[in-house]
Amino acid sequence: MQRDLASFSLSPAIRVKLVSAGFQTAEDLMEVKPCELSREVGISREEALETLQIIRRDCLTHKPKYAGTSESGKKYTALELLEQEHTQGFIITFCSALDNILGGGIPLMKTTEICGVPGVGKTQLCLQLAVDVQIPECFGGVAGEAVFIDTEGSFMVDRVVDLATACIQHLHLIAGTDKEEEHQKALEDFTLENILSHIYYFRCHDYTELLAQVYLLPDFLSDHSKVRLVIIDSIAFPFRHDLDDLSLRTRLLNGLAQQMISLANNHRLAVILTNQMTTKIDKNQALLVPALGESWGHAATIRLIFHWEQKQRCAVLYKSPSQKESTILFQITPQGFRDAVATAASSQTIDSLNFRKRSREPEEES
Amino acid sequence: MPFFSARSGNMGHKKLRRVGLSQELCDRLSRYQIATCQDFLSLSPLELMKMTGLSYGGVQELLRTISRACAPQMQTAYEIKTRRSADFSPAFLSTTLSALDETLHGGVACGSLTEITGPPGCGKTQFCIMMSVLATLPVNMGGLEGAVVYIDTESAFTAKRLVEMAESRFPRYFNTEEKLLLTSSKVHLYRELTCDEVLQRIESLEEEIISKGVKLVIIDSIASVVRKEFDMQLQGNIKERNKFLAKEASLLKYLAEEFSIPVILTNQITTHLSGALPSQTDLVSPADDLSLSEAIVMKNEPTLKRQASSKMTVDGIGTRTRDNLSKAIGTSGSSCVVAALGNTWSHSVNTRLILRYLDSDRRQILVGKSPLAPFTSFVYTIKEEGLVLQANRGHRDTVTFV
Repeated sequence: MQRDLASFSLSPAIRVKLVSAGFQTAEDLMEVKPCELSREVGISREEALETLQIIRRDCLTHKPKYAGTSESGKKYTALELLEQEHTQGFIITFCSALDNILGGGIPLMKTTEICGVPGVGKTQLCLQLAVDVQIPECFGGVAGEAVFIDTEGSFMVDRVVDLATACIQHLHLIAGTDKEEEHQKALEDFTLENILSHIYYFRCHDYTELLAQVYLLPDFLSDHSKVRLVIIDSIAFPFRHDLDDLSLRTRLLNGLAQQMISLANNHRLAVILTNQMTTKIDKNQALLVPALGESWGHAATIRLIFHWEQKQRCAVLYKSPSQKESTILFQITPQGFRDAVATAASSQTIDSLNFRKRSREPEEES
Repeated sequence: MPFFSARSGNMGHKKLRRVGLSQELCDRLSRYQIATCQDFLSLSPLELMKMTGLSYGGVQELLRTISRACAPQMQTAYEIKTRRSADFSPAFLSTTLSALDETLHGGVACGSLTEITGPPGCGKTQFCIMMSVLATLPVNMGGLEGAVVYIDTESAFTAKRLVEMAESRFPRYFNTEEKLLLTSSKVHLYRELTCDEVLQRIESLEEEIISKGVKLVIIDSIASVVRKEFDMQLQGNIKERNKFLAKEASLLKYLAEEFSIPVILTNQITTHLSGALPSQTDLVSPADDLSLSEAIVMKNEPTLKRQASSKMTVDGIGTRTRDNLSKAIGTSGSSCVVAALGNTWSHSVNTRLILRYLDSDRRQILVGKSPLAPFTSFVYTIKEEGLVLQANRGHRDTVTFV
């Protein structure tokens, strides 16, 4: 009750007037009527009413109310979190090696960043996940829908058709051998048309459109509650050429990262952000590092780095709160993102990569 | 200093006045130099509260209104697909090199950027001239029945070659002079010799495309003006160059997508000589390191090795030493040949086709980066009618190598 007026979400002009009229704390305002307030303070009746409503509402619930998020500041015990994590879903990638090092697949309620050089397979993985998120629950999927925010123009519908067709065939194969009735039934809805209809695509041409889209996402997600995956491909592109002011860029990126984390938590979905690589000149050596700067490294919870090792595509789990750092090989087939075919040379590569003393720079060591 | 125009055809620069804000609010904001949606969305809620005098809830509401004004429209993937099938304009421009078309799911993709890179004299300009002819052909012959904008920075385009190619490639269609004249009149050539001029030309293209019915944009080459003007030895220039290239890429992508047309860009190649920065940074994929792909050819056609290495001459750009071929697998410390313009540029193009020499007659075209196709190479020669593929099926590289 003794709460200072400055801590309420009132507009600055009104706050100044209240203070100069002698109101310091919430308690002072509790007994006042709107008309009285408007006369004394010199504001309109509507403003007075709004002010009183804000004060009363916040005081009664003891919790600051901000439009948009309803579950921020929840408390959990570790046991409750453990139970939640057990039931939390993963989105499989169809590359079992990658799913293994991630602990089951791309986790829901977390933000994952995928960095890599151009052409290594970041967009391919994103397209694969947009299909995989829709796999029905009886097959081990999360039966969700996907939002794809494209800033580079790399989304190719034909490729999604290929991936979706391969996924349908794969599931039919499983259902064929299992012969369980619920599998057959689930597959009736898992058609190409349905898969494509549940990928919601937004093309953002610059960072303003991206910011605008992210502001509108909470409303969209409330309308489409089955969405379990939000992809931004790539988050680096719009911020790398249009913005000269680096501090503005850092601020906007941090804001975006926080919004994505809160979306992931509030709507129970996985967020994937793809990043590019840039060249850093360091002691006469040119290194490949993820773009967007040092501070961006803190933004995502999980960081995957894709790169080439000789002629193999490698994925490194670089940062994860629960899984250990490892490297695996993968390949891109006409059916999509898959495990690499194991050969003597490739297992040699993997062993050497995992044994090597890893320095904290994600560049390729020669 | 090149002049960067602020306009790039997007919603962020919409004036707040047009979004439906009250005049009073707009005036208040303009006092703080907030006039467009972009300015507004770049501020934090606290700053906005100060400037607008609204409560936090009011500011959130305003943010949503402004976001709705400049956010993109949603489409489902299914809608994109059905619209594409229903569209009269095709999704690809066929190259008439049938094996290449098959790999690329139709040809050069409309709505995205395709880059052709390779050593000098390999056939990049020939390819561009060939595509110019194809784009002007009627749709039932695989063309786009439209005009072509050809931005030439090296003065390599000759009308004579265009006509020669058209006549030789489609002798039955171009049987009258009238048809030849029609095709030639549809190719609009612009000679630009500086970065500034190229950028200004690209910015003016939107109106050209609408007024002339342009269905293909070619820039031959992107690399030459950039490499002339940005000296890579100077420190700050890498950033400047990348900024310029990113600006160009974003403008071209917008045009490609807005009008659903293909955009073809040619690039050069560069050599990293041993002793200099031993960097993996420009090797964006194994296909890009042209000496690496040499190794594939060597494995399958060992007889070519001697011929290939004896043909290579020291030639400025495009140098390849004999040592390279034997050290091809190991990439550190040896010379290697990569596409120019760096890593950041490689992110911007959607498809990359790489040309290179096999011997004095035969060359190879390699699909280096593509969202639709794996690494595949095809052998071709250059004849009167342009590029001609030799074998019927491309040689596809498997990803794993022993």
